[in-house]
Amino acid sequence: MATREAGKKMIMLKSPDGMEFEVEEAVAMESQTIRKMIEDDCADTAILIPNINSKILSRVIEYCNKHVPTTGATGAAASDTVAPAALAEDLKIWDAEFIKVNRATRFNLIQAASYLNIKGLLDLTSQTTIDTISDNSLEEIRSFLSTKNDYLPEEEQTIRRENQWAFQ
Amino acid sequence: MGLLALNRLMSMQPDWRRRPTQRRNGLVTSSVAKRKVSPCLHDDNSGSVKKSRYSGPPLPEDIWHHIYSLLPLRDAARVACVSHTFKSYWRHFPNLSLTRETLGLHDGVDGLSCRCEIAMDLARKTDHILKNHSGIGVKALKLEICGFPFFNNSCDLDRWLHIAVKPGIEELDLKLLSTYVALCRKKSHATICRKISEAAFCRKKSHTNVYNFPFSLLDGSGKSIQQLHLYNCALRPTTGLGHLRSLTRLELFRVSITEDELRCLFSSSIALEKLVLRSCNELSFLEIPSMLQQLNHLVVMDCGNLEVIKSKAPNLYIFHYGGTLIPLSLGDSLQNLYIDALLGRQDVVPYPWADLLRMVPHLEDLQISSYCARDTLVVPGKFLHLQCLCIGAFNPDYDYLSLVSFLDACPSLETFILSVDADRVRQESVLAESSHDLRQMPGHVHRNIKDVFIIGFCSAKSMVELTCHMLENAKSLEYLTLNTSSNPEISCSDSENGRCLPMSKHMRKEARKALLAVERYILGKVPCSVELEVVKPCSRCNTLEI
Repeated sequence: MATREAGKKMIMLKSPDGMEFEVEEAVAMESQTIRKMIEDDCADTAILIPNINSKILSRVIEYCNKHVPTTGATGAAASDTVAPAALAEDLKIWDAEFIKVNRATRFNLIQAASYLNIKGLLDLTSQTTIDTISDNSLEEIRSFLSTKNDYLPEEEQTIRRENQWAFQ
Repeated sequence: MGLLALNRLMSMQPDWRRRPTQRRNGLVTSSVAKRKVSPCLHDDNSGSVKKSRYSGPPLPEDIWHHIYSLLPLRDAARVACVSHTFKSYWRHFPNLSLTRETLGLHDGVDGLSCRCEIAMDLARKTDHILKNHSGIGVKALKLEICGFPFFNNSCDLDRWLHIAVKPGIEELDLKLLSTYVALCRKKSHATICRKISEAAFCRKKSHTNVYNFPFSLLDGSGKSIQQLHLYNCALRPTTGLGHLRSLTRLELFRVSITEDELRCLFSSSIALEKLVLRSCNELSFLEIPSMLQQLNHLVVMDCGNLEVIKSKAPNLYIFHYGGTLIPLSLGDSLQNLYIDALLGRQDVVPYPWADLLRMVPHLEDLQISSYCARDTLVVPGKFLHLQCLCIGAFNPDYDYLSLVSFLDACPSLETFILSVDADRVRQESVLAESSHDLRQMPGHVHRNIKDVFIIGFCSAKSMVELTCHMLENAKSLEYLTLNTSSNPEISCSDSENGRCLPMSKHMRKEARKALLAVERYILGKVPCSVELEVVKPCSRCNTLEI
């Protein structure tokens, strides 16, 4: 179990479903949105994260915790002795594991990353979505995105013809 | 992302109705640890997601639009068929990279695909995609034109550029591959291929088929453009342009542009940070004006008619030059200088290295590759900041030990790389009977040198002398790498046919001698603080056994 290390400033994050998370300031500042609040001195007490539930928020914090650049962060494998390339490789593997979640969780993470402005997490979640789209047929994409086909048959024919090259 | 999006986001969260009352107060790791039992939310009931009017996925539209814009071109075109929402995204798709690769038009590895066919197909698809694009929202446009002007002409190119280059565009990359079309292998194209080759033949006699980039196009969109890459066309900017204020990167490859026109371009591109000029053969001199205050990286390669380069850019930091050695005048802000003068072998007139180096006293990284270093590289004063020095490709009889005086002038030097084409060295071998005493250059101490690499190490006496000198006088030396091959990159592990580049009999003999020289003269001098690595030819591909 991690303990609070001396000299590290802690920030309280509060989810709308009433959970509170105490995190190191450096970890919280992985989010540009929170960073701005801290820098603007709007973070005296707990910061309410208005629209990210506790499950998603805890995952987001888990991600930030892993990706915070300073060494010695709680739970992070970062160490002075590890070469940067090895560290990057380690992070990549960790990311790949991290993003193995169901579709709804992934979409929630995308929204959270976007709202909290965490570029790395937004890139990771977006890229996973892009990969899913690339690998699937049109019907599968519709189902994945829970989007209905709102084309009239002739409209669909037209657009299919127009973009026929992309199906070859 | 604005509040509006946040509210929308809130309304789309059916699974957030649950309001636990339990207060969890602790460190993140503990909460994460609790979570690990059930990593999934089991709420994959997408049917319950409230539908907004748009027919996109259950994500706020701006986020989804962002993700869509990152899709590769083909996937974006495919997804356009999903629903009206996506069709409208496709009409505004921001990254139009229309190349053989993105459109899936590959040359057959076996040469079966006809290049004419590919060029025609590329032109047809490019036209088709741009015709159906709204022309709004394009951030990056990349056009690859094959077989110009056979399958597309100046009018086509003008039309395509006018569709997509609008205010807001940030990157424009136009590449014309006019000599791309080769003789066709398919009978059905024989006629057109003959026409092409005839036209290509005629074209050699005249220059009428050079595409003139419509510079006026940038009148409106010039304010936003950040990167401009042009390949194989003419650029004739007129005077009085005051825009291109965001242009930070300009790359011209085989572009017809005169020095006056380039000057005109500079006057409207004051934010320029990186400039690359390759094979721009109309230029006879290049002068970078002092008004390019942001310019920090300059690359000039193979501009065959250049006679002089003068830079007054006050913050030029990196200069990479390749071509015939010509007078270079560089500001003292320069810290990284790379000169690759293999093409110009002016053995007769010694290049005034001293004059050049005197101009750039703050260098930290210097790489010179030239056959011109005929005599000792005379160094004016000292390079107090130089940390990395890489020099290579000397005349066959170059005295390597004379480099010591250069090293002496670089008290901060940490890395020294000497790259020699061992096959070209014509010097007395240290193993020759007449060769006994190794010269020494006492009184030189290289305090900070940690790494020494010699690529193309051979048994030439002066090279062995230099190596011994480094071992005796570089007190901080940690690594010494002696590579007996001149092409360290081409080994069987990364070559296409799984074999190293074959060595000639002479080269193998020289490599054997080099290893013998290491054994006799070097090994005994290596202090325990130094790690010596001798890179030998691969024993599988180039055996040294007699």
